[in-house]
Amino acid sequence: MSGERDSVAAPESRSPGVEETLPVLEVVGVSKSYGPVRAVRELSLDVRVGEVHAVCGHNGAGKSTLVKMLVGLVRPDEGVIRFDGAELSLRNPQEAQAHGIALVNQELSLVPELSVEANIFLGGIDVPLFYRRRRLSDQARAVLDQLGLAHIQLGTLVESLSIGERQLVEIARLLVRNARLLILDEPTATLSKPEIERVFRATRDLVRQGRSVIFVSHRLDEVFELCHRVSVLRDGMRVGTHDVHEIDRRSLIDLMLGEMAGTRTRVKHEHARPGRDAEAVRVHRLNVPGSVEDVSLTLERGIITGLAGQVGSGTSTVLRALGGLEPEARGTIEVEGRPVRLSTPRRAAAAGVLYISNDRQREGLFLGQSVEENLTVQRLRRLSRLGVLLQRRVQQTARELAAIAGIPADRLGAPVASLSGGNQQKVLLSRALRLDGVALLALDEPTRGVDVGGRSEIHNLIRETARNGTAVVFASTELDEVLDLADVVVTLFHGRVVSVVPRAEASASAILADMTTSDRGQRGAAT
Amino acid sequence: MTGAVAGAIDRLGLERRKIGLADAALGAWIALLVAVTAYGAATTAGFLTWSNAKAILTATAFVGIIAVGLTVIVLSGNLFSLALGQTAAISAMVFLYSLRIDLGAAIVLTLLLGLAIGAVQGFAVGAWGANPIVVTIGAAGLMEGMAVWLSHGESIVPPSGATSWERLAQPVLGLPAPVYVFLVVTALLVVVMRRTRFGRQIYLLGENRVAARAAALPITLLTVGAFAIASLYTAGSGILIGATSANASLLLTGSYTYDAIAAALVGGNAVTGGRGSIARTATGAIFIATISDMLLLRGYSTGVQILVRGIIVLVVVVLTNLRSRSR
Repeated sequence: MSGERDSVAAPESRSPGVEETLPVLEVVGVSKSYGPVRAVRELSLDVRVGEVHAVCGHNGAGKSTLVKMLVGLVRPDEGVIRFDGAELSLRNPQEAQAHGIALVNQELSLVPELSVEANIFLGGIDVPLFYRRRRLSDQARAVLDQLGLAHIQLGTLVESLSIGERQLVEIARLLVRNARLLILDEPTATLSKPEIERVFRATRDLVRQGRSVIFVSHRLDEVFELCHRVSVLRDGMRVGTHDVHEIDRRSLIDLMLGEMAGTRTRVKHEHARPGRDAEAVRVHRLNVPGSVEDVSLTLERGIITGLAGQVGSGTSTVLRALGGLEPEARGTIEVEGRPVRLSTPRRAAAAGVLYISNDRQREGLFLGQSVEENLTVQRLRRLSRLGVLLQRRVQQTARELAAIAGIPADRLGAPVASLSGGNQQKVLLSRALRLDGVALLALDEPTRGVDVGGRSEIHNLIRETARNGTAVVFASTELDEVLDLADVVVTLFHGRVVSVVPRAEASASAILADMTTSDRGQRGAAT
Repeated sequence: MTGAVAGAIDRLGLERRKIGLADAALGAWIALLVAVTAYGAATTAGFLTWSNAKAILTATAFVGIIAVGLTVIVLSGNLFSLALGQTAAISAMVFLYSLRIDLGAAIVLTLLLGLAIGAVQGFAVGAWGANPIVVTIGAAGLMEGMAVWLSHGESIVPPSGATSWERLAQPVLGLPAPVYVFLVVTALLVVVMRRTRFGRQIYLLGENRVAARAAALPITLLTVGAFAIASLYTAGSGILIGATSANASLLLTGSYTYDAIAAALVGGNAVTGGRGSIARTATGAIFIATISDMLLLRGYSTGVQILVRGIIVLVVVVLTNLRSRSR
């Protein structure tokens, strides 16, 4: 491995975006299908030595499948991946790493309880037990210095580092293993501004040494700031690769959206107009440390508000705060004019705010319990007298809810884990339907992991709830879903509200621009 | 035997939920146990007699009452209480001591004390998220210390002259009173877990604590309730133990904690909570008593009895655990 670096020796002075350097990675005509879904179709791409290459695309464009193929997590159905001119057939991430291809994503593989040095060498096969420790320490030190972590001692425990520093330690871990192509998957989603700067500086240093970086991001500002070229994926295909100097943000967004850019006027459903003085919940200057800054919202009865934003934009956190799951949240929340403190889920529920998590396995359903029990969990008080369950009413209620949600009545006694993902999601949502005393329904990613048919059924359930006079707010990273369901679109970026637009005036490209860029600042502030 | 009884309970509708089709290994193990028990029953002299059946039920009663109470903690996903033996002992001591007031007062006082002891532990676990094992070990130590301190290390005996308490240990229609108490309080708890909001919420909490929190279930209250019930039942058992042996010290209830846990485990309740039932634990308690009785009749030592019980518990726990993970 060590000899190879000589062969790619890149001149120190090379300026960004120079054309004539060799490709280190070539992807040629690669396809991958999951069942009937064609995640990646005949995709070709090349990454040059010393280049930061951005890969952009909306959700479902095929970015993560591409990344998984490059690091050996998924095998392509057809096509060729060449690295240094040699064809690769990767069976697992270890093989990719042995070739020098390494992935950094938000789920870092560090052990928080161990020191920085131990983490850097963890799992390394040729770490000697007793001797030559010194040389390894020197090596770790050098790599950390190079990444701008000179202030961090080797013996520091990883748990005491910030998330950005941890990310750099992870990169250090990969560098001592001679990674030559680093794939950074949404590296900045959870970082603060100064941390992002630090990661960027380190990235620039790395490519100056002749390594290459693939930068997968939703944040277009960062693409323009850091990268040399950008490839756009849509529907599993590459729709263009451009030098960042040759393209502007506008055309980049149009490339990502394709036909959808024209959906400005194509409103499929009737959307209610906000502003009817039917205020249910008012959120004023909500702050959650590290996640949400000064978010203000007015949520009206009968109106579905969609919070559009990428992972890490703060949309989920806003909903969690409404659901009483963010004890550190500050700001004022009024439900029907009464100020309330939503410090626990019980307080939130008592105030009339019902929250449904985006993580149905962990935080939503009771998987081993029956469908009936999952459907009735939120209304047991109404279905019992003096603490004794009224069996007939419990069963009847469960049957009614199942009928509304379209779940076969003969499955009521079955564990909810035995249902399909779509039906599980319907059960989760249905438990919040037709409840008295609910002022606001807060739904985080209401159709995650649900197929198209199930999705439109769930959307109809949500619309019906709103029509019955409940205020609904949901968060989604998917533009389609926001445009389909929301009456009002609120876009968040980096914890702040960027825009508030009624659906009739919303366009896909404007929302995507707001979701992906920060330079507009706070425009059209929330009421 | 466990399987057969549990199956019958299922059919009668007493069982709150079916645990699903038994995994092949677990089925084989239960079949083996049933076969061995049947063989033993047929070949052990004096096993299939009315008096031996009475002996088994009598032996089950004290631990059985504690075990069914403990099951509420297990189902709520809070593992076990390791303070049950001490709670039983201190209850027996308080009961015998306060007999000098009057029988009714002694019973009420002891039960209230038990309730309070459990509620405090439940609060620590539910409200502060303390580890139930650590909390209950701490509580056990505290109770042991207080018991030794207040009793000066001596056994408590009933006040001379009072005889009203003896009724609690006397046979009624041929069976000792504690057996009836065991059956009644078990039936009561079956109904509570199956028919009340509290019971249903305990199952939900045990199944998924994070989801229970997000769904705004009263987690602290439920946890307090689970520990309070376990401790209340243990105090009730302590009263009967005190009345039966007419003197009470810490030594009296030495292995009760582990015996109760063993009954809950052999019954096939999931250690992680949410799956199982009161009836399962009662079945487990009776089964363990049956095996011990058979070994005793065949002349095996106490050591062998403990060993066999240990093996049964171990295999059932491993198999139920594997099964729930495979789903």
